[in-house]
Amino acid sequence: MIHARASRLQLAGVFLLLVVLHFYIRPRLWGPRVSPDFLFVGLMLYAMRSGPGAAALAGFLVGLTADALTPARFGAGALAHTVVAYLASWGRAVFFADNLLVNAAFVAVGLWVRDLLVLAVSGTGDRPLLAELAVYSPLQALTSALFALLVLVVFREWFSIRLDA
Amino acid sequence: MASASERSYTRRDTVMFLACLGLALIGLVSPDSWGLSIAAALRESVLAPLVWLQARAEEGRTSRNRLRTITSERDSASYLAQGIPSLLAENERLRQLLALSHRISTAYVAAEVLHQAQATDGRTLLLSVGARAGVSAFDPVVAPEGLIGMVLSVSERTSVVMTWAHPEFRVSAFTVSGNAAGVVAPFAGSAGAEGALEFRGVPYRDSVPVGTLVLSSGLGGVYPKGIPVGTVTGVIREQAGWERVYRLLPAANPGSAAHVLVLVAPSGDLARAFPSDSAIRAQRLDSIERVRLADSVAQAAREVREARARRADSLAAAAARKPSPRPVPAVPPEDSAR
Repeated sequence: MIHARASRLQLAGVFLLLVVLHFYIRPRLWGPRVSPDFLFVGLMLYAMRSGPGAAALAGFLVGLTADALTPARFGAGALAHTVVAYLASWGRAVFFADNLLVNAAFVAVGLWVRDLLVLAVSGTGDRPLLAELAVYSPLQALTSALFALLVLVVFREWFSIRLDA
Repeated sequence: MASASERSYTRRDTVMFLACLGLALIGLVSPDSWGLSIAAALRESVLAPLVWLQARAEEGRTSRNRLRTITSERDSASYLAQGIPSLLAENERLRQLLALSHRISTAYVAAEVLHQAQATDGRTLLLSVGARAGVSAFDPVVAPEGLIGMVLSVSERTSVVMTWAHPEFRVSAFTVSGNAAGVVAPFAGSAGAEGALEFRGVPYRDSVPVGTLVLSSGLGGVYPKGIPVGTVTGVIREQAGWERVYRLLPAANPGSAAHVLVLVAPSGDLARAFPSDSAIRAQRLDSIERVRLADSVAQAAREVREARARRADSLAAAAARKPSPRPVPAVPPEDSAR
């Protein structure tokens, strides 16, 4: 029990670090369109280690944050993040969620699907949608997946547990 | 067969998922004003520390860039104007060329752009200033290159800008030559370049050549007159022989804007605040020419001074070399009597 609580605290520390990275380091990185989405990485790492309900709730909260900061179409981010986090949580039962590359692939595919949903729901035209999904989203998915790999390698021991265990 | 606890676990998950989905859908179908109010409330309460953190990060980044720019400007100006009395005037001139804020005559608030990770960033921008700094809804937002958009909603410390990439963006505009007027909107066609604007409602008889600058006309009361909106790159379509729609290359790019100016009390004609590239180049060449001229005058003066100094030196040396007159020996009076 004590060990599980300590592990949860350690993971909470990692997620807090990701939040700080997202809001303090990300603006200093290269282009905002392709820099890793640290919040999304945190969400996916959490979703793959928790139940679908908790993942959906976390996705909703992250999406609400995104909507509050980019209110192009309020609700689009919440919807997309909820769906992606819920699917990621179910997906870990199908795939080998403990594998590093599977985790990274989840992040990359999840981010691309998130962008697809956000753009589709917010009524983006065909060509901007195509350009976004063909160019910027894959680049951001790649950088985010690489960063997720780095986080998992550095905090490998801490991420081996499941939060709903 | 699933146990009762597993079934309730799955049911609870499904209920939570559906609840979150339902709330998101409510957010989607609710009126825009509700969404903007909720977003503003969240930014002012729960997300305030995160927005503050990002604003500090942006500030640090832009301050570093500005310092680098100022340092390089200072270095090049010093290099060009070394030892020339016109250094101060030249620096001031360069500043006037580079800083839009010096040229704008109306009141403005400088703001950092807080770019987000979402794919729709660019359609709306989050700024680091809000009502506390005097920003209000419908204030125009400009970059040194031209029009970015207008303030859509304002909270205490932040505000949201609707950029020209937003589907609902419209601005009344005219060509810099004054021969055509119309409305500029985001390019909505299925063919052509992305991130473009279209200049609609131009009468068929008024043909606009490629490369013509299009400025805001000031009609409608939101955008003041004279802000560059874009440059004509071609004709998109002609409607039934009475109207031409032109494609514009936007003057400013919201996706890469790091800091912008919010015009809080826009009035008058701002065309003089946005000189064209050729005008800026001409002014720069002119200023460099002035520096060169001042340089040559200063050099000539220096040479004259040096020549004078050399002449003075040689005169002094010649004076030192010249033998002094032999002293006349004093003759005692008795010797001369003999």
